[in-house]
Amino acid sequence: MKNEKKAYRAKINWHRELRLLPGYIIVLLWLAFTVVMLGWIIGASLSTPRDIYQGQIFQFSTGLHWENYATAWNVQNVSVFFGNSLLYSVISCVGVLAISAPAAYVLSRWKFTGGKALRIGLVIAMSVPVIMVIMPIYSLSVQWGLKGRVLLVILYILLRVPYTTIYLLDFFSTLSRAYEEAAYLDGCSAPKTFLKIMLPLVQPAIVTVTIFNFMSVWNEFFMALIFTSSESMAPVGVGLLNIINAMKQTGQMGGMFAAVIIVFLPTFLLYIFLSEKIISGVTGGGVKG
Amino acid sequence: MRKNKAMIFWFSLPAVLSLLIMFVYPVCRTVLMSFFRVESVTATVADWSFYGLGNYLKIFKSASFMTSMRNMLLIWFVGGIITLALAMLMAVVVTSGIRGKKFFRAVIYLPNIISAVALATMWIQYIFNYDYGMLNNIVQFFGGEKVKWLGTDLKFWSMTGSFIFGSVGYYMLIYISGIEGIPQDLYEAATIDGAGKVAQFTRITLPLLKGVIKTSITFWSINTTTFFLWTKMFSPIDTESSTIVPVIYLYDMVFGGKGITQRDAGAGAAVGVVLTLIIIAVYLVTEKLFKGNDLEY
Repeated sequence: MKNEKKAYRAKINWHRELRLLPGYIIVLLWLAFTVVMLGWIIGASLSTPRDIYQGQIFQFSTGLHWENYATAWNVQNVSVFFGNSLLYSVISCVGVLAISAPAAYVLSRWKFTGGKALRIGLVIAMSVPVIMVIMPIYSLSVQWGLKGRVLLVILYILLRVPYTTIYLLDFFSTLSRAYEEAAYLDGCSAPKTFLKIMLPLVQPAIVTVTIFNFMSVWNEFFMALIFTSSESMAPVGVGLLNIINAMKQTGQMGGMFAAVIIVFLPTFLLYIFLSEKIISGVTGGGVKG
Repeated sequence: MRKNKAMIFWFSLPAVLSLLIMFVYPVCRTVLMSFFRVESVTATVADWSFYGLGNYLKIFKSASFMTSMRNMLLIWFVGGIITLALAMLMAVVVTSGIRGKKFFRAVIYLPNIISAVALATMWIQYIFNYDYGMLNNIVQFFGGEKVKWLGTDLKFWSMTGSFIFGSVGYYMLIYISGIEGIPQDLYEAATIDGAGKVAQFTRITLPLLKGVIKTSITFWSINTTTFFLWTKMFSPIDTESSTIVPVIYLYDMVFGGKGITQRDAGAGAAVGVVLTLIIIAVYLVTEKLFKGNDLEY
């Protein structure tokens, strides 16, 4: 019986597959395009400008030029940009949770004065374009004497608060109040109940929202461009733009493509391991018909 | 459960402050600033002088602002139709029962994951390159002449094309989640009644996706009005009329750029307000157009 079932599963229904052929062609074309593009960039990152111009990047006639990566990392300062982005992303992810998780919890648990206004405000803030806030933020930062790394991290945290709070709020709402009743009867204080019982219960949501926050901060460009005054504090996006602009003078093509690969890798690796979680998170939170 | 007032206060205070500092105060100040003559972004309110609708008149008289609006509307309309149609096509194909559904879905969404700067670089330095680029290789394979994809004539469409490639995956995911919410027995019943695939799509899928399509149009509008990065990548040093968009115009105006002799934060604020009004208008219009006949299933 078991064998029969296996055989049945292995048999391909050719008639059915044939009907789906146009669909296969469409997605395979898309796949081929993506693979060729990424493959070429990887090839180019290991080649010399001469190979690239002669269209012979996959022959590697002069060997694999791993030194392009060393050039990008050390000489072109990718290590600095990479470190900055990592710093900004990690601190922002933690900081935003510290602000959003408690707020999401009380919003999901109790009706209180201003609670509804706060909730609506957060939802609206999610679709406020950055250009509407950037100018006053700029003058505030000058007024308060904030600049550089500290300023960027603060801005990234504040920028992600609405999305993170609303996302966590939905998850806290699904939790039964029985947990808190039990904790209360056992003499556990409300803040402690939040920290020790409720927060661990929404851990999957915290992981998902942190992945999104991480990718969003890692790829952020507009604020970084405005608020980074020197190359030493530039994150990867702004740094890469500088490398590309410099490349026109230096001709360091291999190094530039290596830099592209280095910038591309962290979120790509994250995606390879967590694509299911990421994809279900995209439409899981705010998007409802 | 007992209500703990102190806890509610302290737990929500940081979020309230974030909202006030990052969104409420800046939005109000930007709106106010758009009615004042303000030269430098950092000028205090005491240095502002009332200007009425002067800033708005100024930007609408400015040739480069009008060019930027035209470019933005083209991206919104032409790019929007292509992106959303492609996204719908991909969503239908991916959910049609093909093998490797999760794999293809992940591949098409991939451009949304990686840094847009890196993605744009791949397009500019490889796909569109004149000497060794992919498109020119394909053109030459079919016996055509090499094309200057990044020349003044085609730059705008090259930029829009690569932007579309980077956007399709996101809208596809929105459509997939909509399609997967439609009960399968509707299709089974339709198949029994002899309805073909096309009829099933236009008579069942599309009408039931109304709400999702509405959402996607709003998101697309927000996305295109804040279009900035791709222009910065395609015209990195100097702003060009072929790729200028309102946010670039605002950026040059407020933070300085080529050809801007006098900075004007007031005009920049007016640009921001105009863009926000456009987003709100699009939202209201789509709400109205798609209203009323939400189908139940």
